Amino acid sequence: MKQHLYIEMDNCIGCRSCLAACTQCGGHDERNRNYVYEVNPLVTRQTIPLMCLHCVNPACARSCPAQAIQITEEGAVLSALVEKCIGCQNCTIACPYGIPKFDEEQNLMYKCDLCYDRTKEGIPPMCASVCPTNTLQWVTEEELAAKKAQHKLGKWTASHQPFEPLEGETNVKISLPGILQGKQKLF
Amino acid sequence: MPKDKFFKVIANKQHPNEELVPTHCSYCGMQCGMNLRVDKSTNKIIGVEPRYDWPVTLGKMCPKGVTAYQQTNHDDRLLRPLIRDDASLKGTKEGFREASWDEAYELIVSKFQELQGRYGKDSLSVFSGVSMTNEKCYLTGKFARVALQTRYIDYNGRFCMSSAAAGFLRSFGVDRGSTLPWTDLHETDCLFIAGSNTAECHPTSMFRVWEVQNRGGYLIVADPRETPIARRADIHLDLRPGTDLALANCMVNLLIQNGYADEQFVAAHTNGFEEMKEIVKEFTPEYTSEITGVAPEKLIRAAEIYGKAPNAVVMFARGIEQQHKGADNVSAYTNMCLVTGKIGRPKAGVATFTGQGNGQGGREHGQKSDLLPGYRKLTNPKHVEEVCKVWGITPEEMPQPGVSAYEMFELMDQKTIRGLYLLCSNPAVSAPNQNFVREALRNLDFMVCADIYLSESAEFADVVLPSVTWSEDEGTVTNLEGRIIKINKAQEPIGESKPDWQIEVELAERLGRGRYFSHLKTAKDVADEFRLASKGGYADYYGATWDKIEKQNGVFWPCRSEEDPGTPHMFLDHQFYHADGKAKLCALPYRPPAEEPCEQYPLRLTTGRVVYHYLSGNQTRRIPFLRDMCPEPYVEIHPETAALYNIQHEEVVRLYTRRGEAWYKVKIIEAIRKDTVFVPYHFGHEQSINLLTIPALDPMSRMPEFKVCAAQLEKQPERMNAR
Repeated sequence: MKQHLYIEMDNCIGCRSCLAACTQCGGHDERNRNYVYEVNPLVTRQTIPLMCLHCVNPACARSCPAQAIQITEEGAVLSALVEKCIGCQNCTIACPYGIPKFDEEQNLMYKCDLCYDRTKEGIPPMCASVCPTNTLQWVTEEELAAKKAQHKLGKWTASHQPFEPLEGETNVKISLPGILQGKQKLF
Repeated sequence: MPKDKFFKVIANKQHPNEELVPTHCSYCGMQCGMNLRVDKSTNKIIGVEPRYDWPVTLGKMCPKGVTAYQQTNHDDRLLRPLIRDDASLKGTKEGFREASWDEAYELIVSKFQELQGRYGKDSLSVFSGVSMTNEKCYLTGKFARVALQTRYIDYNGRFCMSSAAAGFLRSFGVDRGSTLPWTDLHETDCLFIAGSNTAECHPTSMFRVWEVQNRGGYLIVADPRETPIARRADIHLDLRPGTDLALANCMVNLLIQNGYADEQFVAAHTNGFEEMKEIVKEFTPEYTSEITGVAPEKLIRAAEIYGKAPNAVVMFARGIEQQHKGADNVSAYTNMCLVTGKIGRPKAGVATFTGQGNGQGGREHGQKSDLLPGYRKLTNPKHVEEVCKVWGITPEEMPQPGVSAYEMFELMDQKTIRGLYLLCSNPAVSAPNQNFVREALRNLDFMVCADIYLSESAEFADVVLPSVTWSEDEGTVTNLEGRIIKINKAQEPIGESKPDWQIEVELAERLGRGRYFSHLKTAKDVADEFRLASKGGYADYYGATWDKIEKQNGVFWPCRSEEDPGTPHMFLDHQFYHADGKAKLCALPYRPPAEEPCEQYPLRLTTGRVVYHYLSGNQTRRIPFLRDMCPEPYVEIHPETAALYNIQHEEVVRLYTRRGEAWYKVKIIEAIRKDTVFVPYHFGHEQSINLLTIPALDPMSRMPEFKVCAAQLEKQPERMNAR
């Protein structure tokens, strides 16, 4: 069963549990690989997570001269292979979202691998497992379809829809802030 | 236990050569389920895995929870007892030497006996905490009254839950923090949340809070700051700190005026309606707006939404409780549910967000100066007799009620109390009016502190005893729902550290009181005696056996027998716990904060938590991830206020009140009232905001007014680079 990481940005409270949990994934060397941004810190407490979106045709991998960035059959875009990465940092420049991080000492790129050692077994990634607000969710195709209907995702999400806010098709789906706009109230 | 819409069956990741020990977090009242990863070759805790099948939190954890396991084998752990011979070094980290348990015990016993011989039994005191199991909390009450035979025992719940307890007791005749399980919350139609920064203090409630809005329900938040939960609220009631009572009275007034009162419910199940109506009628939206600073339209709309909602839950936390009218605030907000009859059924009711891990259970079983196990009262001869029977003492031997936590420091200052046994608490950070409190600790004749790390309070001790973390012992905790849950042991105690119950038993034996304690050889032994001691009380745990807790995913008290599955929802039969079965609608005249702004101190200072730290920070400030995310305190100021003082973002200012001063970096943000400044309270020594806070106590709950006092600040350009 294909499952997706789905991000509902409006829910984010800035707790950075996703970053703490990222360090707990088996293959992550206790380093977190994602970001939480303050949207306008002098004005509001709104924050948004920025995780790797696992592009279907990822700019990081396309830009890699050493073919060090592998894509799994499930669509997870992995960290650079230690034996292939030449430390050129093309990927950090190519990624439109600034995801890949670079370890100067090891001369090696590292990034979110969608907790591949978990997700390949159908276990949610650590960030989506712990997220206290359901900003990050691990959802089935059916659940994603329900979200689409509910939030009119064509307008708000990244996935080859009209009004597409992001470049290219991604395996991770997002809803930008504003999911409650036009919400039919119970009373 | 019912499973809710969020529940999914997910297998845990199995790491090679590791065992997963299911347990709960060490920190707040959410008590999120977690699995501790234990390395099978070293038998040490090495990480955490989500506990997807825990029905309340479903694997979710905040950053404190994710990193909680790092406490156990931390380099700062105390491994052996410490003794300090040079009392002039009190208040510093200096002068401690390692000692054997025997030497430490001998010194404690001789000093305690010397003080009690010279100044009487009541010259000793016990100051405890509720970040530990019910078994330890229970035994600490018995330790004070039977082993030390002193009247002076109280605990840090006076800085946390005591107003909620006092308010609920007055309104309902019983104090269970939530009248309904958390798994109901997302199904209600309106959450009215006052004085709770839920997103930072109880983050794993948030997926249920947001779901109310996702379903088309409403979220109303009352808070002086636009906190991360207030940001998305349908209505944010941005009131002045310390004015909740006016706001709550206004809500009740509008509910009555606009026909939302459930007259049948009020007549059949409550007392006091007319007196209350008389008091609240003064609180029109206009008058209330003058007091609270909240626009009248918002007050009207909030009452309308709450009134119309088929089901609604009123929730609150320390924001309304840490005031010198905290208990009144609790009863006043509780009036909202009682007057509309939105209580005593699923998806409707009232709840407080319990701050400490065992804030609920720890206050029920005899650590409070006037309480005995099972929520029995020391002033009730029948209650005393029941407990005496379990303890094997005569009622004449039972000490009288003592005084509240802050008042114990006053008695230390007056030399009525000369010795202190401190455990599971860090009052040298968490108590108000720190200059006074630290002096009281420094002047004690003899002080013992049991802790896992050398806390700021331990710096005042003559003897420090190494206790264990939550992960090195077992027992039960009662979470914020009133659900009794099981904490499991994941590794053996490190070094020579011991669980608090064991330390208390061994000390009691050396004090010649072994016959009351020596039969308690395991945590389970303490649990069995504790269940018996609570039997027949309001907070009856007798039927909450460890087996049942495991089978049912927890047991809600009261649980009176082995057949009784427990009580997830309170008052389903609309029977309250007062003698006539009715709840009390309380008539509560408004009182302003103890200290109002004036020309000299024109700002309102309020304090609270950040998501990365827990209470005094003794644990979380040592965890690298949490320390990196919030390394130091700051003062939050509205940009217009900052402009008046000509202050820039990140500039250092001197903040001061009539009681003390401290220096903080400025954090400018529009998400706070212009007349209010905010400082997080998790920091010690010269960074502690409690150097400035006011010890004005609630007359019922004895809760200090942490949440509001008058302050002033000034630019300190010369301190810019000093830190």
